[in-house]
Amino acid sequence: MNQASNNEIDLLLRSFARGDKDSALRSGLSTEQVNAAASNHLDADELNSYAEGVVPAPARARYIEHLAECEACRSVVISLVPTAGAVNAAETREKKASTDFWQKLRTLFTPPVLRFAVPALMLAAVMGIGLWAVRRQQPAEYIAQNKVENSPSPQISTGSQPSAANESTATNQSKTPAEKNLGSTTEKSNGALEKPDANQKRAVDETEVAKLPAAKDAGTAGAVAGVSELRPYDLAPKAAAPPPPTPLLDADKSATLAKERPAKREEQEPTRDDQLRNREEDVHEPNRAAAQRNTTSVPSNGRVGGLMSTRGVEKRKIGGGETRTVAGRHFTREGDAWVDTAYEPSRATIKVARGSDQFRALVADEPGIRAIAEQLNGVVIVVWNNRAYRIQ
Amino acid sequence: MSQRAEQIEQLFAAGADRLLGRAADSHALAAEVLVPRLRSAVTKYVLRDDPEASLEVIADFIDKLQADDLCLIVACEQGNQRAWTDLVERFSATVKSAARSASSNEEGADDLAQSIWAELHGFRVRNDGRPAGKLSYYSGRGSLAGWLRAVVAQLAVDQHRKQSRMVQTEEDADFDRIIQHGQEENTWSGHGEAPNPELQISLKLAGAQMQKALAQSIRGLSAEDRLLVKLYYFDGLRLREAGAVLGVHEATASRRLTRVHNELRQQVGNILIEQEGWTRVETERAFSEVALKLDADIEPMLATEQILVKKENEVAG
Repeated sequence: MNQASNNEIDLLLRSFARGDKDSALRSGLSTEQVNAAASNHLDADELNSYAEGVVPAPARARYIEHLAECEACRSVVISLVPTAGAVNAAETREKKASTDFWQKLRTLFTPPVLRFAVPALMLAAVMGIGLWAVRRQQPAEYIAQNKVENSPSPQISTGSQPSAANESTATNQSKTPAEKNLGSTTEKSNGALEKPDANQKRAVDETEVAKLPAAKDAGTAGAVAGVSELRPYDLAPKAAAPPPPTPLLDADKSATLAKERPAKREEQEPTRDDQLRNREEDVHEPNRAAAQRNTTSVPSNGRVGGLMSTRGVEKRKIGGGETRTVAGRHFTREGDAWVDTAYEPSRATIKVARGSDQFRALVADEPGIRAIAEQLNGVVIVVWNNRAYRIQ
Repeated sequence: MSQRAEQIEQLFAAGADRLLGRAADSHALAAEVLVPRLRSAVTKYVLRDDPEASLEVIADFIDKLQADDLCLIVACEQGNQRAWTDLVERFSATVKSAARSASSNEEGADDLAQSIWAELHGFRVRNDGRPAGKLSYYSGRGSLAGWLRAVVAQLAVDQHRKQSRMVQTEEDADFDRIIQHGQEENTWSGHGEAPNPELQISLKLAGAQMQKALAQSIRGLSAEDRLLVKLYYFDGLRLREAGAVLGVHEATASRRLTRVHNELRQQVGNILIEQEGWTRVETERAFSEVALKLDADIEPMLATEQILVKKENEVAG
């Protein structure tokens, strides 16, 4: 039936409701029926129960039957319903407020929610643990960390990958020079040069040479010269490294640098002989220079390099020796000590113990020294404002 | 006593204990005092319409009674003065508010409120010596505040009926004249300047037959649909208000009313054809003419409504 028909019957009903004042006809009941309905009026309790909607279904049907015919009871219900609705709404609000928290809590543990929430939580947990693990490893990259030299060619390493292999070899690299020499000597004596590859043998030799003071000094000089060209991580596969190009530093330069070695280092390395040192330098200086050039030819990782530069720490390894640049100062590893390259052994040092009041005062006045002391472990000899400090 | 009756009695006793346990203030009532009240309420709301109601339904009904309100009223009925004071303090504002809603002026509201407390306490004395007030009618099913409002509204209706039997005031006479005038002006069956007396008689006859068919059709509706029609067309409620009385949403009431329109239209047509001998074409044409006539008269109808509303406001104000 269309809207027009509905309008017709709507108008007819309106007219019917207004046109006839006879209550019997208006209600569609006979007079007897009206009187019977009036005699069974609902009492106040029933009317209120109906208005509040708390009447059981069978009784409600009876009440509706009566209300459809009884104008008096209907008028009472009409007057009660708005108030009853407000009361019910208030009660509902109160109940809702009291049970809101628990309902929400229960809702969280319903199967439809858990079906998606559990995998999401597990994923979040895995990601969180992974992030935590990565963040725990990151500081180690910025502190001293030695790197295994597996490359057949001598290569300047400016960073280390936080891999298990590096960490395992770092313990070997952190040995004292005497231990390293002992180890290398043992290797030699035991025929450790049994590696079939000639490049591998050369790498072993490099390691030995790098431990020599002359090589260390030469490496320092090279490192100072090529700091800006170094990349923090050697991303290119070392096995695929190009053949060594023409050396930039000749043997004379290496020899000159070797002569500048401090007497102290000569005392620490009494077993080295000049012949062996010179031979190794001749062999490896070109390679190191080539490594430097090769390193600069490979595009560096911008993110890592930027991170390293912001930290103001650079690390490289020449053969077995290490140099570092912290806060613009260059340090070489000498035993357990990091020695500023600007330091002269004849110079008197001011001993400052870490954690002491003097140390705190010093780092408070000189933030640069604080950075150095934080980045370098162990004994650090730094020249600062024409004064040499021995931080230990 | 049958087994079921015994079980129900046990339910009453156990329900009374639970009810007292639920009440924040039991007013030192004994469970035995509550049992007759529970029996009366269960009989009134459950067993009367469903004599075979299960014990679970009865127990559920008892457990949903308003424990605090019922204990308060029963304590008042038992003559507990503290309960009376509590009742008056807690619900005097409710009674006054209901009386104001039911009365046209403040003085009438005060009189109505006072008479309510008297009705609650009761003038007469029962056989047991206690006053026979309206308190015994409260079952605890609904809220006490709502029950008091219902008592006030019923009393107001009774008072209005008594006053209506008296001599009408001049204002009432004017009011009725306005209503009568509006109805006469807007009665589709007898309104209009019919150019032809035969046509006028024909229209009146057709209108009377349609009214009769419509009344018969309304009687054929279900009780709930009939109540909706009464609320919407006879009591002048909006769909939202009518839906609230029926306990349904406005949208549900609207859909239901549309369905009722269809049913009524169908039923009226059938009655006119089957009982009055109309043809289907005549039926359709009569509906259209009625609609046209009523549509043309809608403006004076609305004007009459405005006059009525204005008059009601003046009386209330």
